[in-house]
Amino acid sequence: MRAIKGILFTCDPAVKQILLAMNEKQSFIIEDLDDYHVVIKADDEYRVRKELDLELEKNTYNQE
Amino acid sequence: MSNKRSADDYGTPSKRARRDDGDDYIDINDEDDVIPPSPPDTSLIPRGATINFTALTRRLAEERRVEKDPSEMTSLEAHRRKQDALVSHIFMDQDFSWLHLKPDHASRPLWISPEDGHIILEAFSPLAEQAQDFLTAISEPVSRPAFIHEYKLTAYSLYAAVSVGLQTEDIIEVHWMLDVWNQVPVPDAILSFIRDRTLSYGKVKLVLKHNKYFVESSHPETLQFLLKDSIIRDARSHTTQVDNSIKASTFTTSMAPVRGNLVIPGTKEAEKKDGAPNGANGTDSALFTSVVDEIEEDDENVHAFQIDDAKIDDVKKRCNELEYPMLEEYDFRNDTINANLDIDLKPATVIRPYQETSLSKMFGNGVSVMQWRQQFIQWSNITDRQIAVFTADQKEKFAGESGIVVSTYSMVANTHNRSHDSKKMMDFLTSREWGFILLDEVHVVPAAMFRRVVTTIKAHSKLGLTATLVREDDKISDLNYMIGPKLYEANWMDLAAKGHIANVQCAEVWCPMTPEFYREYLREQSRKRMLLYCMNPNKFQACQFLIKYHEGRGDKVIVFSDNVYALEAYAKHLGKPYIHGATGQVERMRILSHFQHSPLVNTIFLSKVGDTSIDLPEATCLIQISSHFGSRRQEAQRLGRILRAKRRNDEGFNAFFYSLVSKDTQEMYYSTKRQQFLIDQGYSFKVITHLDGLEDLPDLAYRTKDEQIELLSSVLLANESDAGLGTDIKASEGDLAGTVTSLDFGGPGRRGPGVHRTTGTLTALSGAQHMSYVEQNKSVNKKLAREAPSRHKLFSKRDKDKVAARKEAQRAGASSGRP
Repeated sequence: MRAIKGILFTCDPAVKQILLAMNEKQSFIIEDLDDYHVVIKADDEYRVRKELDLELEKNTYNQE
Repeated sequence: MSNKRSADDYGTPSKRARRDDGDDYIDINDEDDVIPPSPPDTSLIPRGATINFTALTRRLAEERRVEKDPSEMTSLEAHRRKQDALVSHIFMDQDFSWLHLKPDHASRPLWISPEDGHIILEAFSPLAEQAQDFLTAISEPVSRPAFIHEYKLTAYSLYAAVSVGLQTEDIIEVHWMLDVWNQVPVPDAILSFIRDRTLSYGKVKLVLKHNKYFVESSHPETLQFLLKDSIIRDARSHTTQVDNSIKASTFTTSMAPVRGNLVIPGTKEAEKKDGAPNGANGTDSALFTSVVDEIEEDDENVHAFQIDDAKIDDVKKRCNELEYPMLEEYDFRNDTINANLDIDLKPATVIRPYQETSLSKMFGNGVSVMQWRQQFIQWSNITDRQIAVFTADQKEKFAGESGIVVSTYSMVANTHNRSHDSKKMMDFLTSREWGFILLDEVHVVPAAMFRRVVTTIKAHSKLGLTATLVREDDKISDLNYMIGPKLYEANWMDLAAKGHIANVQCAEVWCPMTPEFYREYLREQSRKRMLLYCMNPNKFQACQFLIKYHEGRGDKVIVFSDNVYALEAYAKHLGKPYIHGATGQVERMRILSHFQHSPLVNTIFLSKVGDTSIDLPEATCLIQISSHFGSRRQEAQRLGRILRAKRRNDEGFNAFFYSLVSKDTQEMYYSTKRQQFLIDQGYSFKVITHLDGLEDLPDLAYRTKDEQIELLSSVLLANESDAGLGTDIKASEGDLAGTVTSLDFGGPGRRGPGVHRTTGTLTALSGAQHMSYVEQNKSVNKKLAREAPSRHKLFSKRDKDKVAARKEAQRAGASSGRP
């Protein structure tokens, strides 16, 4: 019996797709629940958030 | 504000250097943003020399503040200090809290930034309107939203002020005006900037005489200074036999002695040595005396030298770089060579306050040549015979001494494959002097291909018109020397308020990507990505909903899509007619006339052929589903399609402009960038994240997951080439990205074969593995084509009777005429 500390991650369907793509590179998803929820490893939370921010920032237009 | 500041220099975001408080200051002269960057070693006047002073002032101010011992401060002062320190780092080098406000600053509408000449106008101030008139005269508008306007004092804006007759002496007045309206005292740096620039302006003139260009000046030193420059020297025409009589008398104008006194900055000296090898100095001065003609004019001595026609562009550019911009002058009253064109506005014509008039020659764009001609005849007293058209199908000259020729950029710029007729016409155009050249859509002129137009046709005065003075490349500033400085920029918001253009509600509709599409989007490469975000089922539904909603309100809707694949898919699915490059001329005209006149056709889909060349004043609503990346110009031009809406003067009328954007994709980035130009004109975009009632729409497209997946697989099956933008139009060389300048459509029948053979397993072919069969639904275009324009029986009967009656009359006439 092995227990992994997990975090319930709530997001919109598009972001979930980014998570899935990221998961292919380095696995961190424990359970894919539905379009809006996934359970991810607690240890990876910080990294995932940061990478996600970076990914989403790419589509934002900044003037400077 | 620091964001707005550089709204005009995308693409070169790191141009503006930041200053760290600790370091020695590096001061930035804002003109670097405007003047085309020249190689550093050729700049004559050390930039920033004038401006460094402000930094000094700031230092002193800061020091003064520090000098005060914190213990001596009152509690209020201490509190203020703390507050200032709290926010001041946000503004970094644009923290101007050290400037002293005038005591009655609340009633003054202006701020002037001491560093870069930006002027901020509080448009809500009661004095704003007066201040605005003044500011437009001396500076360029950068951004004009509802409440705060930003203007910029640049070398070019001052050049414009000079070229319309503002004298250096008036600068004192300018100073006075600035001071009256300013909340802070006008910084000395700005003043000296104005004084320096205006002093050198207007000294050199470019004059067209006997179809040859001369550089003229009443200050011989200036001319000599210019001739030192290798570029200008090369451009000087060596045939000096012009105006022999004048030259003979003044051939020996003593210029040589002055030459010795000229101080050349070190960098310049070095360059000159490279350009002119040893021992060339002697010959140089000899050349001077031979080229500098002196012409007696009035009581003032005017010196001039001739320039090679072909190099006129380079010379103008160089002069601007040397900060001696040339004014092009035309004394039309004393022009005895060119016949005057007798043209006047018809008495019924009312000139709108912002409109400029006076014309003699011009260029239109594509199909609009005939429209221009039409407009001339409609609004002025010019006769049919005085106005000629020069296009691919029509080459004619006007009757008489003077007149108007309307042509296109591509006709004039074309250098090869000319027919005999057009060659003759071109010779006519280039052989004579023109009083005036009007360049419509002048933002296309800097394109490599069209630059020639300005130089091949010799005109005394030039006027460029455009609604969209933006280009994504850095060529827009080239217009400053090719045509001249920007003289006037209308305020769009004002025009809308006065009813000259329609009120437009702009909205950006965010459509979330469906998970399936987004999954593929993340995997695909750039071009296919574009197709995926265009074909996003949520966007499709939003488009359908908006069309339905606006048709219900009685609007005429245009849907724009740069992507032809998406265009056809949308139009066919929604059962609407569409036009793109491969649509035949006849079909196109039929669709357009249906859109204009038939109450049954309220929506059409257009590819970028519709951006500029199709005029549809009926349209009142515009939906954009795919566009050319981040082109600000395209966005503005598309908006222009509904600005001239026929119904604009109806009470409470609003036109609508929607941009459909797929969330979390590159489209979001482009969309924001595209809007910048319009935002600077004062438009604001509302963001719509959810369309109310979308789900309740009957026959909503792609409602079920199965349908969406089917759509996805057909999108994935599409060719890579389908994913491209505007593949329907052959871009001509040198075109602006995403612009249609020539109407050279690819022509029908160019697309790949309709049938192709594939092999696969039986399971795959029968629908497993997401194989899908596409229903080839017919486009509505064909249906429109089949419908003959039938008239009511009553009318056709009457027509028949009429024809019969006429025949009868003819027969009667013929028989009675017979002896």
